[in-house]
Amino acid sequence: MALAQPAPPLDPSDAFVLSVTPDAAGGLQIAWDVQPGYYLYRSKIEAFDVDGAAIPLILPEGEVYDDPWMGRDEIYRAPIATTIPDPRGAVTLHWQGCQQDGICYAPQQVVLETDGTVRAEQVAEAEAFGSWRADGNAPQPGAPDSATSEGQDGLKLAKEEGLVADLAGRGGVVFVLLGFFGFGLLLSLTPCVLPMVPIVAGMLTRRGSGMTAGRGLALTGAYVVAMASAFGLLGVVAAWSGANLQATLQSPWAIGVIAAIFVMLALSMFGLFELQMPTRWQARLAQRPNSAGSLGGAAVLGFGSALIVGPCVTAPLAGALIYIAQTGDVALGATALFALGLGQGVPLLAVGAFGPHILPRRGAWMERVKLAFGAVFLGMAIWLAGRILPGPAVLALWAALLTGCGVALGALDRLAPDTPRGPRMVSAAGLLLVFAGLVQGLGAALGADDPMRPLAPLANRVAQVSPDQPSFRTVTTQAGLDAALQGSQPALIYVTADWCVTCRAIERGPMSDPQVKEALNDLVRIKVDVTDFTTEAQALMTSLAAAGPPTMIFVDAARSEPQSSRLVGDVETPDLLASIAKVVE
Amino acid sequence: MTLDRRTFLAAGAGAGVVALGGGAWTLLRQSGRAGEPSVDDVLHDPDQPVLGNPQGDLTIAEFFDYQCPFCKRGHPDLMDEVEADGNIRLVMKDWPIFGSASVLAAQMVLGAADPERYAAAQAALMATPARLTEEDVRTTLAAAGHDPDRMLEIYRQDRQRWDGLMGRNAQQAAALGLQGTPAFIIGRTIHAGALDRDRLRAAIAAARSGA
Repeated sequence: MALAQPAPPLDPSDAFVLSVTPDAAGGLQIAWDVQPGYYLYRSKIEAFDVDGAAIPLILPEGEVYDDPWMGRDEIYRAPIATTIPDPRGAVTLHWQGCQQDGICYAPQQVVLETDGTVRAEQVAEAEAFGSWRADGNAPQPGAPDSATSEGQDGLKLAKEEGLVADLAGRGGVVFVLLGFFGFGLLLSLTPCVLPMVPIVAGMLTRRGSGMTAGRGLALTGAYVVAMASAFGLLGVVAAWSGANLQATLQSPWAIGVIAAIFVMLALSMFGLFELQMPTRWQARLAQRPNSAGSLGGAAVLGFGSALIVGPCVTAPLAGALIYIAQTGDVALGATALFALGLGQGVPLLAVGAFGPHILPRRGAWMERVKLAFGAVFLGMAIWLAGRILPGPAVLALWAALLTGCGVALGALDRLAPDTPRGPRMVSAAGLLLVFAGLVQGLGAALGADDPMRPLAPLANRVAQVSPDQPSFRTVTTQAGLDAALQGSQPALIYVTADWCVTCRAIERGPMSDPQVKEALNDLVRIKVDVTDFTTEAQALMTSLAAAGPPTMIFVDAARSEPQSSRLVGDVETPDLLASIAKVVE
Repeated sequence: MTLDRRTFLAAGAGAGVVALGGGAWTLLRQSGRAGEPSVDDVLHDPDQPVLGNPQGDLTIAEFFDYQCPFCKRGHPDLMDEVEADGNIRLVMKDWPIFGSASVLAAQMVLGAADPERYAAAQAALMATPARLTEEDVRTTLAAAGHDPDRMLEIYRQDRQRWDGLMGRNAQQAAALGLQGTPAFIIGRTIHAGALDRDRLRAAIAAARSGA
């Protein structure tokens, strides 16, 4: 007998989407959105009160199904709803259903608070089979996917890393590694990886002639593997220490060092000096026939690049690090992040293989490319330093760089009347750069701090006069946090620290936005200050499941964190407004 | 620039899934990860009765429930295929998810003790309509020539062993991320949901060629 071939079964929480809304009379409206091709059993929808007594439910008539395989049963193939009138306490809700011709799901269960929020609960098998429960780490067959987890202080934190944990539970290590490789591949499409392209290209052009595709691939390969190793190392440290790594990567001194490296690279491009290893190392490496020195150099560069890119990809990295710190699995952490690094490096390999092949062998062209890369490196240095330097200083640096580049392009050179069109265009572009540089300089003098809007102080004099930020209540202990969370106003818990540079950017930017400030008025605003990274602060962060600053946790009146409301890392105004809206009813 | 972590994770997972392709997930021998069953644990539980050819070159494990309609509808095909092939080792892993009647059915069938009677009792219960009461279980077994009370007694005498077996089945189902029944493990590949005869054959062939 041939059965109809159904699609792979949905996750039970997607097949039967549960929604709970409190109604005006104090009851709970419960509805399941049954997807086409799926059905719920009427007899399997049950509710129990805190004492385990069944709560009678009024359920609509179902479709009576009667065939030799099913027997007689009543089912729902369409969305259905019911009401629990006036719940006296937490309500336990059961349901069960199948995918037609596919799979019958294990029983599903949630515990609902009287206000309709869903509480996480272990699956209780009805049949006195205590030993049947899976051990704590494994996904529970009946556990609702979108559940919340209980924090130490009674806060309900949304499970953000369910997806990765799910990957691990479902397909094992291969799934996790593929997942992370995929993340890396996607990361390579973000601007965060751009700084690595000139590094790789710079590395290849510096080698000058004699660069074959194979050699380019080998160099880039060494670079990418080293970069992936650096990420892997990060995974090891994260798994071992569970500490706040991404915060360290964002610390002012780390950013300062990286910016300085970029300046060095730029100067090297400008021909001020050749970047070389100590002669002793060089001598040792030169004894090997295949000029391993440059491979080693590529590897060093790759390793360092991970540190440069790391702070840029804080948000996804924080997710990965939280997950790994939670598993405490060092080997998995290391390999997962290694896979992430490899994924990120795939496009670079393409540059390595084809880049030098496309480039002309020799000539002044090469020199100009080097100069261009030098300028890009300087730009990167300023962009990085922008996170730790005061705004006007950053604008001044941009002014210097832009003017310098403009002059180098010949903006101020006198053109002969018979100058061809090409050089004229270049000269015009240079002039534009000089102009942009002048505007940045003017902005710096006016005290502007956004390079994209250097003249904002002129346009928005009024707004700029009161750059006040919403007031926060600062806490450093669990007790302080508990006290601050008294009352029933929705709250924002903002994990921050003095040394957190991204936090400053958020406070100066989206947090000072008038719209955000107004929306924040409805919230209790609590700053969890982890500047002193004490045991207490670490415990507090663990209880909030926060990887490090900046993390913004939004909790509603019932002190429950809505799904997908948490903001980690750099944020923008719309993100903030969206998350605020989720907790304000 | 803000990267939305959720979008990012979802998209990344999507990319990973696409890279893997298909709905069948290859099982891995898990080394040293606590709580994760090995292939051997799942396919060769020492307490698990074995059907088909115990020396067969390929093992099929089915996580099933005596009240699961699609388990029962596909069961004749599965048994025919195992019989016709002659070289398949079949393990029917009890995972009662439909309540007390399913648990009772599993207990009684395991209490059949003797391999032949185990197979016969299971076949009788699998041939009924899906929905069963505890009374239905008893009458079905009695009608097939078994003594339900005796079965329960034998089960109770060796309760730790059988409860342990069913407990491990449930743990494995959870660890493998199985959402319900039926779920087949053919060779090293998990197939969630019912398989018709053609897909079953294809899965068997794939497992043999890949093994």
